Amino acid sequence: MLCAETLRVQAYFDGELDALSGVDIERHNEACAECRSLLKQLAEVRTALRQDRRYMIVSPALRARILRKLDEESTRKGALPIGTRRTKWRPHPFWRGAFTGIGGTAIAAGVAFFLTVPPRSNSVSDDLVSAHVRSLMPDHLIDVVSTDKHTVKPWFAGHVDVSPVVADFAPQGYRLVGGRADYFDRQRVAAVVYSHGLHVINVFSWAADGRGVPTNTTRDGYHLAFWKMGDLVYCAVSDTAWDELLELTRLLQDLSAHDNPPMARAAP
Amino acid sequence: MPHLDAAYRYARWLSRPPSDADDVVQEAFLRAFRGFDGLRGVEAKAWLMRIVKNCHETARRQQQRHVYVPLSEEFRAEDEEAMIATTPAPESTSIRRDEERTLDRLMSFLPEEHREVLVLREIEEMGYREIADVTNVPIGTVMSRLARARAALKARCLTEAAGVPHAVR
Repeated sequence: MLCAETLRVQAYFDGELDALSGVDIERHNEACAECRSLLKQLAEVRTALRQDRRYMIVSPALRARILRKLDEESTRKGALPIGTRRTKWRPHPFWRGAFTGIGGTAIAAGVAFFLTVPPRSNSVSDDLVSAHVRSLMPDHLIDVVSTDKHTVKPWFAGHVDVSPVVADFAPQGYRLVGGRADYFDRQRVAAVVYSHGLHVINVFSWAADGRGVPTNTTRDGYHLAFWKMGDLVYCAVSDTAWDELLELTRLLQDLSAHDNPPMARAAP
Repeated sequence: MPHLDAAYRYARWLSRPPSDADDVVQEAFLRAFRGFDGLRGVEAKAWLMRIVKNCHETARRQQQRHVYVPLSEEFRAEDEEAMIATTPAPESTSIRRDEERTLDRLMSFLPEEHREVLVLREIEEMGYREIADVTNVPIGTVMSRLARARAALKARCLTEAAGVPHAVR
């Protein structure tokens, strides 16, 4: 009763087929009413399930509880650099002090340990991906929460060495969520956080140092788009599709073309 | 924090009752935090989902043990208090609208291994390879489970739409 192509039609629907096999299935469907109705049915089930996504989110109470537990966990571990590569770990009292001052929590100190892993000079991409992934851990995403660029931008002035372009592109689907100070490659880095659908996009920026702009790349499933504007190098990192990521970089570049060039303050 | 919500959704569909998902997600994040090293070179979401799955299985094993080894009265009282002190029951808060109830109920007819491939594919939009890694079965099994889960869900929808009475669970 079942058409032999059922599983391949499903794989076609799920975007798991290469282009040539996809063409095969499209031809097959022209002749096979059963598979055409299967495709329709798959789409209906998908629509029904995806409606569901809206309400299936973590309650604030649970989120707070998990944060508290992680807090306790990092306090209990105390001075242990959790999850860091111990051979490379090196204390960095200034940053640790500064971060504790800002956050005041033990978990912040834990993050500072992550942040002080000295980077290899050719691994900026790795550092960016690590910083992005780290930001997805609970409470690491944002230091200043705001959808208003006039709140986020001045905040950076007190916390990082750079003053990046900040704007809310909610109408285009890129909502400004907030900002964060990050640290790697021996300098402080600004991270502007956007949400796009279910994805988080971190836009990092740091003072250009004449080493040139890295080329766009993909690491561990995360896309990294680099560009240079004024005295700053920017990198947008996310697990969204390439075109969605590049759309945000285009919006940011368009904006700064009409804006004053971003200024780097005294770079070390 | 998309991964937190994703982990929670996955845990909720795995867990029966869904309220157990809270504990599963919390445990998963603690384990993830301890094992941050394991993240390098692995896709973060799949890695986290795998931990959620392990935590779910651990929790289920413990529950099964509880059937044979009842807890002391004292411990149980504490446990209940802890549950009250956390989040409101999903039944009273998030499940309000009809469509939600309907979908919850429809999904509950599916066996766990069908529910999980469906949620990973349709809601979390993961690829077959990733789903196979998370659920620890071959890709072929992922594909056939997906097909069966979707057909069963569709059939159930049709049955209910036609007004055929179903057993109350």
